[in-house]
Order: sequence, then structure tokens, then C-alpha cells
Amino acid sequence: MNRRDFLKTTFIAGLGISIHGSFDSFVRSLYASDDADIAVARGQSPGRITKAAIDALGGMGKFITKGDRVVVKPNIGWDRKPEQAANTNPEVVAAIVSLCYEAGAGTVKVFDRPVSDPRRCYKQSGIADAASAAGAEVSFIDERKFKKVAIDGLVLKDWPLYTEILEADKIINVPIAKTHGLAMLTLGMKNWMGVMGGWRSRIHQSLDESLVDVSRVIKPTLIVLDAVRILTANGPQGGSLDDVRELNMVIAGTDQVAVDAYGATLFGLRGSDLGYVRIGHQSGLGTMDLSKLVIRNVVL
Amino acid sequence: MKTKTVRNLRRLSQALFLLLFLFLFIQTESKGADELGYPVKFFLDFDPLISISALLSAHAIETGFYLSIIVIVMTALLGRVFCGWICPFGTLHNMVGYFNKRIAHGSQETWYAFKYYMLFFILASSLFTAQLAGIMDPISLLIRSLSLSIYPALNYLTRASFDTIYRLDIPVITHGSEFLYGILKKGFLSFTQPFFLQGVFIGALFLFILGLNLYERRFWCKYLCPLGALLGILSRFSVLNRSVSEGCTSCGVCQEVCPGNAITDSDGSWRSTECLYCMDCDDLCPQKAIRFGFIKKNRGVPLDLTRRNILVSITAGIAALPLLRIIPQSGKRYLNPALIRPPGALKEKEFLKRCVRCGECMKVCITNGLQPTLFDAGLEGIWTPKLVPTIGYCEFRCTLCGQVCPTGAIEKLSLLEKETVKIGTAVIDTGRCLPYAFNIPCIVCEEVCPTPKKSIWFEKITVKHRDGTEAVVKRPRVDIELCVGCGICETYCPVKGKPAIYVISANETRSEDNQILLKP
Repeated sequence: MNRRDFLKTTFIAGLGISIHGSFDSFVRSLYASDDADIAVARGQSPGRITKAAIDALGGMGKFITKGDRVVVKPNIGWDRKPEQAANTNPEVVAAIVSLCYEAGAGTVKVFDRPVSDPRRCYKQSGIADAASAAGAEVSFIDERKFKKVAIDGLVLKDWPLYTEILEADKIINVPIAKTHGLAMLTLGMKNWMGVMGGWRSRIHQSLDESLVDVSRVIKPTLIVLDAVRILTANGPQGGSLDDVRELNMVIAGTDQVAVDAYGATLFGLRGSDLGYVRIGHQSGLGTMDLSKLVIRNVVL
Repeated sequence: MKTKTVRNLRRLSQALFLLLFLFLFIQTESKGADELGYPVKFFLDFDPLISISALLSAHAIETGFYLSIIVIVMTALLGRVFCGWICPFGTLHNMVGYFNKRIAHGSQETWYAFKYYMLFFILASSLFTAQLAGIMDPISLLIRSLSLSIYPALNYLTRASFDTIYRLDIPVITHGSEFLYGILKKGFLSFTQPFFLQGVFIGALFLFILGLNLYERRFWCKYLCPLGALLGILSRFSVLNRSVSEGCTSCGVCQEVCPGNAITDSDGSWRSTECLYCMDCDDLCPQKAIRFGFIKKNRGVPLDLTRRNILVSITAGIAALPLLRIIPQSGKRYLNPALIRPPGALKEKEFLKRCVRCGECMKVCITNGLQPTLFDAGLEGIWTPKLVPTIGYCEFRCTLCGQVCPTGAIEKLSLLEKETVKIGTAVIDTGRCLPYAFNIPCIVCEEVCPTPKKSIWFEKITVKHRDGTEAVVKRPRVDIELCVGCGICETYCPVKGKPAIYVISANETRSEDNQILLKP
């Protein structure tokens, strides 16, 4: 291939991509309801508000195409019950799994690399049972399936990440909103620690930058932040119901930084108060400027 | 025809009990729920040596005691059928002995008495508060050896094999092996590869004992097993007896095949206390002169123990006590900081009176943190459980060790009780802790701390770096009143090998002496 051919191909390919992009936005503009950047649904049923939030963004069909291999990544980090708000609400996870299948997903996998014993976390959180019942392939982390991935980020050169998430067609991040001793809050970007292998506790020495680095490599199609119950103190593990607040909310979006910035407001903070949100914004991973976003509220 | 049926029945019985044992053994593992689904200590519950020695040493009657009465009554009526038909360890001896093609009959006519002296030694020391039965009890020895050595080794072998095929990534074959691996993971393998201190030692001892079958079949059962001795004594007046009819030609076949050295002469003389009731002699007698039944025995030979040796073994059992206890731990001043007992463990003295070192708590421990001691609790406490947080921590909401303990050495705690029981206290080594020693941020110990109100809190300190710039670091502090000593901070501390936060046994709930605070 000579230079001219190369340029020609590149030009045509670029044109194709841009046409496809503009066509996409053209189609999207036909639906007046799905121009929201962030959808916030409130209501008593975690499953139904999850669906409502995703519908407000245009429905799961907008994110999942037929036959997709989907990974739904909840937070199953701790040996805690759903009411203790240390893990993602199992009904939220199950609703997303069902929506994926309804949208034609081929497989939906659910996993996390917990801190407490995995068996207890999966069982006590209610997530293994709920997600399996919805048809997901729930599996424990297989330590052999971590692969060192080049990151070349702000602080991380490379890190072993879970191959099943790297090989997925679509990734849906389903974190829960909680406090955290160093990050202040753990929301969406921090949830990627669950697909990091090795001695991941070392990243705490430069946590904010590390989280942005990993969030650049793992690109979620959709983020669904569970704020049905949030943990306001003694996070991320909690344990006392005194620290749990029921917000009965689910927040959905496609911008990792924006969703986390919105999550901060649940705790009376601004996105810019969180180091990783600020760095994510500055480095162009997303935007923390909520005033520039269309936020659609749904109440059931 | 009739006799062959008996032998097949016995083998079937042995196989079923061995399989039941192995099934329960493999089930002794968390599936994530709070309770284990199966009565995994089942076999130990039925073990009269365990229940009688526990009764003597701790004056305690465990639930299992009543089950062991079943075996006691059965033995009193039927003789040592437990040894020949039920004991899973005995069955393993049978299986290994199969490879020994020499005649079964041992050459050592008098060695059989040794196990009785062993029994007297054990029971005498039990009466004077030392629980040594578990070290030699066959069920306890079997569970311990399988838990801490054989099963981990089999896991290692299996995992290593499948991992190799996985790494080689051979088309079709790897796919198939992964499928098989998945099935094994569900039904046979442990959740994670277990590792145990002294696994090699305990395993070698076990294999040596099994290997003795190649020297002489059922060597252990004949000469060493204290449970066999206990059942032998209990069986003295059993009503299931053996008689030899006049048709006996003293050919000696029965004496050759007897796996228990119970037939002492070629004329068919029978020492009932040594008979395992395998009934092979009945099977193989060319004259069909041997009969088992509820009949009067003839040609019986009594248990031949000398009064002098009995006295010596009892005296030795008593004398062993002071010898075992002239260690600093027996005094009140010295408390071993590394001896972190599982949650619910009784006071050390009571604990040692009851623990039979079966190793079930270590097998079931969800993090592999419970490990066998060597000398941490003195020689008397060998192979009792201690938590080693650098290997694994105590999961905050897990109560499995207390659930499986057969003698109540570890109490079964409710979830609520478990959350308040302290097994030690975490202390920080500021010379290694990242925020203290190097001004590097790290909050791992606080993050993983499981108490609802965290037992680790932060002090914000403004520090100066080498280049003169200032920064604020959060330094972890332990709340000594809240810390339960679970050790998760030690397990996850990024300072590897010798963590900057570690647990000492101080403040453990079970001890009155091992306290730091005025108001614990």
C-alpha cells in the first residue's frame, strides 16, 4: 500500500465513521426523550426505577445490540446484607440483567473481585441469587484470567485486569454510592478496582490518578449508580444501619465522570471535591460540570 | 455361598461409610451461607474415645456423647464391628493392605497389648485434665491428616495439572479440561488452594501409618489404635461370638488370614477383644468349622495385659502432665502474643481440655487463617488451632469454626455474639506504616476494618517532605476498645512479609489475664 492509497483509505474510513456518527445522532434526535445525559429515577421499587432510569436515556436497546456479550459489574466487595448498603442492590443488578436479555444480549456475565471472602460476599449480598435468577452467568473471579494490560496513565504503567471484562462487547458498571476513607466517596470509577488483579491495595498510594488511569482503559457503555440505599459513614464496608440512608434513587448515564459528579451531590458534595472526578474532568475522560448536562428526573 | 455374602456385605458397609465420611469431609466448607448444611462432625460424635476422654478431662458431656453411646452399646453386644465394618480409617488400612501379599498374620504375638497401654496412658492423663486422645484417636487423626495435608495436596496436584493444560492452551483439549475442572471445582476441590503450616509433617506421619500396612496388614489397628483398644475392652462380654466345631483340623488357615491377630493358635483359639469381625476366617475355613452367632464362645483367649504394665502406663499418663506443663504459658505472667485462638475458643486451660486436634476448624476456616500450632501452646497444645493473620484473617460474620467443633472447645457463636468477641488487638508498627514512616498515603487497614463503627480512625497530620514541601497525611490509629483482633488489617497491609499493623492476643475476650485495659 503506498502513501496515497493509505491516505485515501483513511479518508474514506474516517468519512464512514463520521457519517455513521452523524447518522446515529440523527436517529437519536428523532426520539425527544433520549437526549438526556443523566437520568435520575426515584421510587420504591429498585427494579422499576432502574428500568425507568435506563428508559429515560433511550432504553437498553440503545446500548445493547443483538448477541452482545455483556458484563454487568456490580460492587460485591463485602460480606454484608443488602440493607447494610455496602454492595450494589441485588434488585438493581437483576433488573439490568433482565433488560440486557430483553435487548437481545447473548450472554450477561456478573462478577466482582471482593475484599471479604467471595463466597460470603456473593451469597450475603443477595447478588448471586438475584442475578442468576435473572439468567446471568454469575462466576467467581478466576485468578488465572488476569492479564497485564498496558495503561501508560498518570501513575499506572500497566496492571493486571480481568480478561472477561476486556473481552466483553458491552460493559455496564453498576456501583453503589458509599463513603470511603481516602477517596471520600466510592462511586463508579472506584468500582473498577473489582476487576483489578494483583496487590491492588497499593494503588491507594496514588488513588485518584490510578482510578482515572483504569477508567480510561475500561470503557463502560452505561453506568447505573445504585443510590437506593447509600452509606454515609464507616464506608465502604459499613455494617451499622445507622449509617444507611434510603434515597430510593437510581442514576444512569454514559459519562463516567458525570455520573460520579452527580453521585457526589447525594452526599452534599460537588464533583470537584472528589480527586478522581476532578482529574477525570481535567484529563478529558468526561465532564464534571453538571450545569452543562441534560439531567432528566423521573419519579415513579 | 453364604460366607461370600458376608464378606461382600462387609465391604459394602465399609465402602458406604468411607464414602459418607468423604462426602461429609468435602462438605465441611463454606458455601457462603451462615450455617453449614451438613452435620460434618458426625463421625467424631459417634467416637467413644473422644467422648469418654472429654468427659474425664473437662467433665463435659457433649451432644456427641449420646451418639457415642450407640457405638458403646453396639460394641458391648457385637464386639469390634465398628473396626471391621465402619471405621473409615480401618477401611483405608484394608485398601493399602491389599497391596501386601504376605500372610496377614503378624509375627508379633504380644505387641497387641501396646495399644491398651496407650489407652491407659491417654485416659489417665485425661482424668488429670490433659486431652491427648485426639492425637492418636483414629477418626481425629484421619480428619486432621486429610484436612491439613492430603486434601490440600490433592488439590494442589489437580489444580497444577489443569493450570498447565490451561496455560498450554491446546485446542479442544484445554476446552475439555476446563469443563472437567469446572465440575471438579463444584464437587470435589476446595474453593481456594489451602495451605497449612506443618502440612508436610502431618501428611508424612499419616502416610507412614498407612505404609505400615505394607509391613503388616492393619498394623495400626492391631498394635496402635487406642480407640480399637477401648472397643476391645468394651467387647469383652459381647454376645456375638465365634465358635469352632470339632471338624477343625488345626490347618491354621484362619490364623493366617486374621487381620486382627485375634486367632492365637492354629487350632482356632480366639481372642475376642482383637477380633474385627471381618469374618474372613469363616469364609475361608476349608472345613466350614467356624461359626459366628449369638452363641457361647469356645477356645476363647483372654486379653493378656500385665498388671505391672498397666500401672506403668497409668503412672506415665499422670507423670506426663507436670512435664508438659512446666512451660511459661502455665504461669500467669507469660502470655504468648502469637497464640490467637479462634473466636468462641474457651479459656486456654478449658480449651486444651477439650480440643481433640481433629483440624475441622482449620479445614472449614474460610480464609485459611486457622493453622495448627507446633509449640505456641506448649507440646500439650500441639496441632490446636491458632489464627495466623499473615495467611488469613477471621471473617467478621463467619461462625463456622464453632459450628464444626466436635467437643465445644470452640463455642458455637451466634452472629451477634461473634461481632463482639475479641480474639486479640491490632497494633501499629509506626516504623513500617507508610503514612507514619514515609509520609505516603495509605488507608487499607481502615478500609477493610469490618466493625460497624470502624476500629481504625485517622489522625490528620501535616508533615514535611525531604524537599521541604508540606502535605497532610492521614495516620491510622487503632481504637483499642472497638478492635476485635480479626486481623484483616494485617492480612491486607501493603507492607508484605512483616505487616505494619498486626494482631497480638492481648484483650482476647476469653481470658481474664490477657487484658490491657482497666475496663475491658
